[in-house]
Amino acid sequence: MRYYVTIDGRTFEVELAPDHVSVDGTVVRAELAQQPESEIHHLLVDGRSYPLVASRGNGRGNWVLVVDGHRLEADVVDERGRAIRRITGASAAPAGPKPVRAPMPGLIVRVDVEVGQTVKQGQGVVIMEAMKMENELKAEAPGIVSKVLVKPGQAVEKGAVLVEFEAIAEAG
Amino acid sequence: MFSKVLIANRGEIAVRIIRACRELGVRTVAVYSEVDRLSPHVLEADEAYPIGPAPSAESYLRIDRILEAARRSGADAIHPGYGFLAERAQFAAAVEAAGLVFIGPSSEAIAAMGDKTEARRRMIAAGVPVVPGTAEPLVDPDTAERVAVNFGYPVLLKAAAGGGGKGMRVVRGPDEMRRAFEAASSEAAAAFGDGSVYLEKYLDGPRHIEIQVLADQFGNVIHLGERECSIQRRHQKMIEEAPSAVLTPELREAMGRAAVAAAAAVGYRNAGTVEFLFENGEFYFLEMNTRIQVEHPVTEMITGIDLVQWQIRVAAGERLPFRQEDVRFDGHAIECRITCEDPLNGFLPSTGRIRRIDLPSGPGVRWDGGITEGYEVSLYYDPLLAKLIVHAPDRAAAIERMRRALAELRILGVETSAPFHRRVMDEEDFRAGRLSIRYLETHPELLQAGATEEALRAAAVAAALLEERERRRRTIRRIETSPAASASAWRNMGWR
Repeated sequence: MRYYVTIDGRTFEVELAPDHVSVDGTVVRAELAQQPESEIHHLLVDGRSYPLVASRGNGRGNWVLVVDGHRLEADVVDERGRAIRRITGASAAPAGPKPVRAPMPGLIVRVDVEVGQTVKQGQGVVIMEAMKMENELKAEAPGIVSKVLVKPGQAVEKGAVLVEFEAIAEAG
Repeated sequence: MFSKVLIANRGEIAVRIIRACRELGVRTVAVYSEVDRLSPHVLEADEAYPIGPAPSAESYLRIDRILEAARRSGADAIHPGYGFLAERAQFAAAVEAAGLVFIGPSSEAIAAMGDKTEARRRMIAAGVPVVPGTAEPLVDPDTAERVAVNFGYPVLLKAAAGGGGKGMRVVRGPDEMRRAFEAASSEAAAAFGDGSVYLEKYLDGPRHIEIQVLADQFGNVIHLGERECSIQRRHQKMIEEAPSAVLTPELREAMGRAAVAAAAAVGYRNAGTVEFLFENGEFYFLEMNTRIQVEHPVTEMITGIDLVQWQIRVAAGERLPFRQEDVRFDGHAIECRITCEDPLNGFLPSTGRIRRIDLPSGPGVRWDGGITEGYEVSLYYDPLLAKLIVHAPDRAAAIERMRRALAELRILGVETSAPFHRRVMDEEDFRAGRLSIRYLETHPELLQAGATEEALRAAAVAAALLEERERRRRTIRRIETSPAASASAWRNMGWR
């Protein structure tokens, strides 16, 4: 089976054959072992050792991995999945830029955007108070604000969606 | 020696104090809020008493409830740790009024050092260097120029009514003075209705270097050398080390003498820390912390002196058995603060249940922690979860040891500051000892993800294998095969 794995904007082609693994055409020996009932895994690639923590991400084919101290999100699709995405026009990421979620329970201090506004990647969107500190929540990608779901003074739970976006239409 | 000590704190410092008491043969009493019923300090103390709901204003800051717990347990002394009530003169006074010993300085010393203006006045009187500044507003730019020459450029013009950076100007030379003075003055007048400005010496990129002192009740005050704590974020220290990479023995002695004078000026007893800003071989008093500090372990590692034990022994009336010349420094120690903050996400607090902890160990590694598996990291208290400390023969070896220890550390369930520390250990300026309190501002790349090509490829392989396994499991479930068959399907994958 051939998979297309996208991490950090890079896509790797990983082919899993019964007797070997190839990464972007290079054949390697790879073996993944898991500690029973834990997220602790250990990967050997041509004898090189990679301790890693792995758990399922939010959507199908999404994995969250910690390798060498780096937290990485991987999106895995096979050839058929890739073809379907091509036809339906969906990108590797879910439709539209990711919404801004509350990373912890807290209080909304200020909302700095309104519906219809275009935001840049990294632009501050919401100020939230938690642990007696004001924290600025930023847009992960450029987009157009489609929904603002909170008001100043509102208490929110961890993971609550605060602001949603639409993708900016490509020129032409 | 006391027979029983109550610890008016929680988290890693409460555990640290319990350890010191155990080694002194003193029984320990913990106090806890509702959410801390199963926290490590409660599990490890000999006795424990509830003092209220989670918010600290209703528990760890409730002097009445803490004193009540002390009375019920029959404790004869109270250790405040750091934070919470540790630097409230009123608490020290209340403990003594209840007939108990406060493991700390007198309430007068706490009050004197807690008032910044009063502390500065006393330090000047004791001959301790402070950041030079004018006591009176300046009348005109010419006066400002004359004063600036004495302080040495750059200088800072500051609105007397000040705040929020308004009416503030850095002046780098005499030619800039007139314009800066007028701008600062009119800005101050507009913002505060008062155009008067002061002038003080401006430190461009100072280091934060502090001196540990230890004083008994008989007027013996010694210093235990310095700690460098320049790596800070929003005035919160993140990495500390001892000794500093830049102090010569002569400077260490000069700063040590100043710190001892500062402590003596307020009749200090207990462990304490005199903080200085350091730039171009000059040092200036910042403030004195009249308690044990978070970063005390680096001093313990290089001096072999247990500061928390000595806090307790001094409070119990023991005399310091060592003099200044007996203090020896051995090797280099570094501490990294492990907080529940996500460095790749603007250091946002991360909460959740700790599912698993794998602690570093091996030569020269110390873990001062306040968490266990199953522990719920909440937003009620300080984000500090633990401190990772290493000790090695020299600075370069200590950095390598810290890299190694951080690679061994694994905490699942919350994001921590550990990835940030790993990057700092690899960063060139840190490794060369080129530090200032602006280190983080000047190294924004430390806050960005930067996995190597190799790590990304390994992650891609792992993700593909995980996905394949997941799909096979789903297929097997669909055709209703037994769990045993599902396990062997995984085994049979065999990409060898």
